[in-house]
Amino acid sequence: MSYSELSQKEKTQVLKKLREEHAETVERTQALVKKQNTIRKDIRKALADESKTVPEIAVIIDQPTHEVLWHVSAMKLYDLVAEDGMKDYVDVLYKLVEEKKK
Amino acid sequence: MDENKLKADALVVGGGIAGMQSALDLADQGYQVILVEKEPSIGGKMIMLSKVFPTLDCASCITTPKMSAVANNKNIRILSYSEIQSIQKNGSGFIANVLKKPRFVVEETCTGCRLCEYACPVDIPNPFDLNIGAIRAVRVPFSTAVPQIAVLDMDNCILCGKCARACPVDSIDFLQTEKEVEIEVDTLIIATGFETTPIDAKKEYGNGKLHNVIDGLIMERLLAPTGPYARVIRPGDGKEPESIAYVQCAGSRDETLGVPYCSRICCMYAIKQAMLIAGSLPMADITIYYMDIRTFGKGYEQFYQNAQAMGIEFVKGKVAKISEDENQNPVVRVELIDENSQIIERTHDMIVLSVGMIPKYNPSQVYGVNVDEFGFVKSPTPNLSSTKTNQPGIFATGASTGPMDIVDSINSASAAASSAASYLESVRNGK
Amino acid sequence: MTEKTNPKPEETKIGVYVCYCGGNISDVVDVEKVAEKMREHPNVTIARTDMSMCSDAGQSIVENDIKELGLNRVVIGACAPSLHEHTFRGTVARGGLNPYFFHHVGLREQDSWVHSNNPGGATEKAIRLMYAGIAKANLLKPLDMIKLKAERHALVIGGGVAGLRAAYDIAGRGINVTLIEKTPFLGGRMAQLETVFPTGNNAREDLHSLINEVRTHPLITIHTLSELVNIRGYIGNYDVQIRSQSRGVSGDNAEAALAACTQEVPDDFNYGLTKRKVVYRAYEGCFPSTPAVDWEHYDGKPIEIDGQKVIFENKKKTFDLRIGAIVIATGFQPYEPPRGDYGYDELPEVVTLPQFIRHMGLRDGNVGELTWKGHPVRDIAAIHCVGSRHLAGVHEPQPDGILNNYCSRVCCTATLHQVNELLDEYPNINVYDFYEDIRTYGLEHESYYTEASKKMVRFLRFHGDQRPEVVAAPEGDTHPVLVKGKDYLTNGLEVEVPVDLVILAVGMVPRPVDDLVDMMKIPKGDDRFLLEVHPKLRPVETPVPGIVLAGTAQSPMNIQESCNAASAAAAKVAVLLAAGQVELDPYVANVDLDKCEGTGACIEVCEYEDAIVLETMTVEGKEVQRAVVTPANCSGCGNCVSACPHHAIDVQGWEVAHYEAMVDAITMEVEI
Repeated sequence: MSYSELSQKEKTQVLKKLREEHAETVERTQALVKKQNTIRKDIRKALADESKTVPEIAVIIDQPTHEVLWHVSAMKLYDLVAEDGMKDYVDVLYKLVEEKKK
Repeated sequence: MDENKLKADALVVGGGIAGMQSALDLADQGYQVILVEKEPSIGGKMIMLSKVFPTLDCASCITTPKMSAVANNKNIRILSYSEIQSIQKNGSGFIANVLKKPRFVVEETCTGCRLCEYACPVDIPNPFDLNIGAIRAVRVPFSTAVPQIAVLDMDNCILCGKCARACPVDSIDFLQTEKEVEIEVDTLIIATGFETTPIDAKKEYGNGKLHNVIDGLIMERLLAPTGPYARVIRPGDGKEPESIAYVQCAGSRDETLGVPYCSRICCMYAIKQAMLIAGSLPMADITIYYMDIRTFGKGYEQFYQNAQAMGIEFVKGKVAKISEDENQNPVVRVELIDENSQIIERTHDMIVLSVGMIPKYNPSQVYGVNVDEFGFVKSPTPNLSSTKTNQPGIFATGASTGPMDIVDSINSASAAASSAASYLESVRNGK
Repeated sequence: MTEKTNPKPEETKIGVYVCYCGGNISDVVDVEKVAEKMREHPNVTIARTDMSMCSDAGQSIVENDIKELGLNRVVIGACAPSLHEHTFRGTVARGGLNPYFFHHVGLREQDSWVHSNNPGGATEKAIRLMYAGIAKANLLKPLDMIKLKAERHALVIGGGVAGLRAAYDIAGRGINVTLIEKTPFLGGRMAQLETVFPTGNNAREDLHSLINEVRTHPLITIHTLSELVNIRGYIGNYDVQIRSQSRGVSGDNAEAALAACTQEVPDDFNYGLTKRKVVYRAYEGCFPSTPAVDWEHYDGKPIEIDGQKVIFENKKKTFDLRIGAIVIATGFQPYEPPRGDYGYDELPEVVTLPQFIRHMGLRDGNVGELTWKGHPVRDIAAIHCVGSRHLAGVHEPQPDGILNNYCSRVCCTATLHQVNELLDEYPNINVYDFYEDIRTYGLEHESYYTEASKKMVRFLRFHGDQRPEVVAAPEGDTHPVLVKGKDYLTNGLEVEVPVDLVILAVGMVPRPVDDLVDMMKIPKGDDRFLLEVHPKLRPVETPVPGIVLAGTAQSPMNIQESCNAASAAAAKVAVLLAAGQVELDPYVANVDLDKCEGTGACIEVCEYEDAIVLETMTVEGKEVQRAVVTPANCSGCGNCVSACPHHAIDVQGWEVAHYEAMVDAITMEVEI
């Protein structure tokens, strides 16, 4: 029996059971996602008014620059931010991408 | 598919450039080949690269069509995300037990549309980008992956079920389990490839802790159009570097690291990257600190001379130490050999360690083949027939037998196919 | 049946695909704009872009579009057709279309790479080139590949280690092999070595293990003293002519002739260090073991054998073979410095590394002291990169006008291997090693360098534009020669090293193969070595189908690399010939019999034998002459097309009408 063949109710049950089996992974990853979401929210806020560079965002949200870059590049990969030219020839500016209306 | 027993003429282990070439050369002669690849996609290290020396062809221009040729060859069957568990002798042939890891995605129905990936809430460091960039816990491994099928990383999954709801063809299967496959073949080619020497191996070079000290493979990803930033910027703070230095033999020719040999490729890839950076960052100063420049292949010396003519600075010197200043700029302490061994310190924006090659896998246990002290497969006849092993019917090719560049790997792979074909014929005529 | 007029383009549904080529094209050409423009074209059903069309994902898009949108023509703008036209034909065929309903437009080599400074112009050019491709695609007709029987028989040229390896591997696949060797003996350059790195094995023992496998293989025929003199035909069906010389002596009188011969010449096996008779064996234990007469040097005078005067006669014979594929394994020769360079050929104490290896091999057990021309040797200098890594503007080109700017790859390790062996035997000798970069690359080689350092070899580093000089020492000096130069390991200090012997680590140059190059129309690189099609995609193949390269004819290589290349060449031959059939593109001349009037103008300009002939046939009750093409012999060059006064002949897939349509499209008024 594969997952797709289950009823909606069974799917919910299976996921619940699997979450229990993988409790440690799920807990660790959920904590990670939560932290990620907080940082992403902060980054969005920082970019709300105007485009900024990674060091600028880092100062605003009080995170190390390499962490900020990782998040910004992740957001860029999934079309949540985009490049917006350069500042002082060496720093890339990033801007928010308007979320598509569903 | 409930096929747990397969039969073929040849089994090729490893779907990098060497394994693919061996498989193609055998399949094109009419032999049935099974190609087993540990990762979710074939392509190996080469598909990660930007452009390749000395022609500066984009790596994917060479690799992706080869991957496609393998996938479309009617005589080749790919078992991706699968690992060899054991090998038994079976007359003059072999029986391989293969573990097919669960993708948690139904291979037969997944279309590679990536809707699951977009739905997934978990961003993790992307192994394809050497963890520099990000990827989702469920994803198509990379844009040109073969097979073009998603894989779910259960170790980083919160089991929220979003991907399953997003999948238009109901391909997500959380209940998938690993499968054992038994493969009966007459001959076997080991093409398990290489790993780069770890970036944190040398404490004098910052122990891997300095964000703007990267290795050559990471620079490949930065230079690749599909890379984590799609441009060359510092992983430490996203700044475009104006001064980049290469430290050669950072992980080769170094007894203290247990890698006393020369890794063959590092001089050429450093020069190549330097030329590519000079193209994308025309204002940047590029320095290469080296002991000996070893551009020995066809067309390689001219490549080196071109790089010198482009203004890339070659400094014969030993880099003793790399530290960091308050702006995350790496500082090298270098002994200038051509200048009476005086020691100077120089600050760059970014350092690339030209790391070397070590074997990815030691096949001695599972395959019973002899390996050298480093774990590279050792041929009893290294000159006349370098792909032979001490086990009749088992051949080894590419970087599993020692450091080599792509050109040499491809020839070695064709040579292994040739030896395997001769073995197949001799076994059959003997019967 | 041939149609009388050009068919009106059917209702074509064209799929157009423009490739980013991972940035190679899209960095210059506005690929999205090109695709957008294509969508306006009335015949275009769909136009798409992709990061890399040649990837499996990219190809799948085309396949699906053919099936789902009912496309009947495909045009792809990407790299050069030479790279991936074949790939995309396969894609189109898998989609269910005739593979020749596809046209490949080169947007990389012909556009983005050459116009990188003019993105706007490059984009316009891309649009025009794509329009031209569409115009041609409209007129394409279905074609089938030409299938030909292939002779399961390979010819290997060269009996050195690469040729032997290739021959054995091809035969191992069940394919007949004829191996021809120019000289009277097998073994090539490897036979002249003593021990080989990295094993330390005796070179001739290793070699003979392979020679024995080759000579006893039932599918291999060996012809020594033989050369290719003529070649005709095409892949799978080459007609080759081989000329053999006789050995001059036979089993009956061979030993006696060898004993009786008195004429001596410099021994090329020992690079002229010794002399040998003109009736000779290359070395003890060589194969074939029957001696041979050195026809080049034999003075033609009678030799007295068993009381009879005998004059040796070179009975040449030629024979023909039908061959499916050819392996060129003609090998290298050591670079010979011009007289006076580093004192070579002027100072008796200057030798090349190959000569020195022969010198070491020739010693007869006297291990107490190394001598050179009767004098004891205590101090030796080795100089690297002699004949290699030459710099434009610093070094003179060779007499053929070519600058040896390449690295010869093997000399560093070979030199240090030889030096280490020397020091094992004579630990008291001092060795000075003058180098620019030590290139002991790879797994086993670096240890030769570290070992040499441990053995107290003194390394001195020169700069490529300031190489050392070798001069005679002043009268009464302790040593006969001085090596002078700057040592950049000690801040460019001027050094003057007195030595007893200088070893020049000479590079490799290919054996002269101009006759083969001319006969086979295969290309040489700027470095004179034979040139492969592509170092990664087709690393041992020449552009001429069915002709492949093995070993140092292609570039400097060590024995391992030569054997790998040879085995790779064997694999390609096996791929070509295993099925007993080869397939060729159908781009050949095609006669419209309704227009042909049998003028024979096409035959007059045709450069390929038997490609077109006039045949008698009956048309409307009358016997007439008409041109008939044998597709396998036709190269598709198009000479005949321009010569025909009645426009009755055309090249399939590349018709005159196609070109006209393409030119019209390229020059069309376009709003960009």
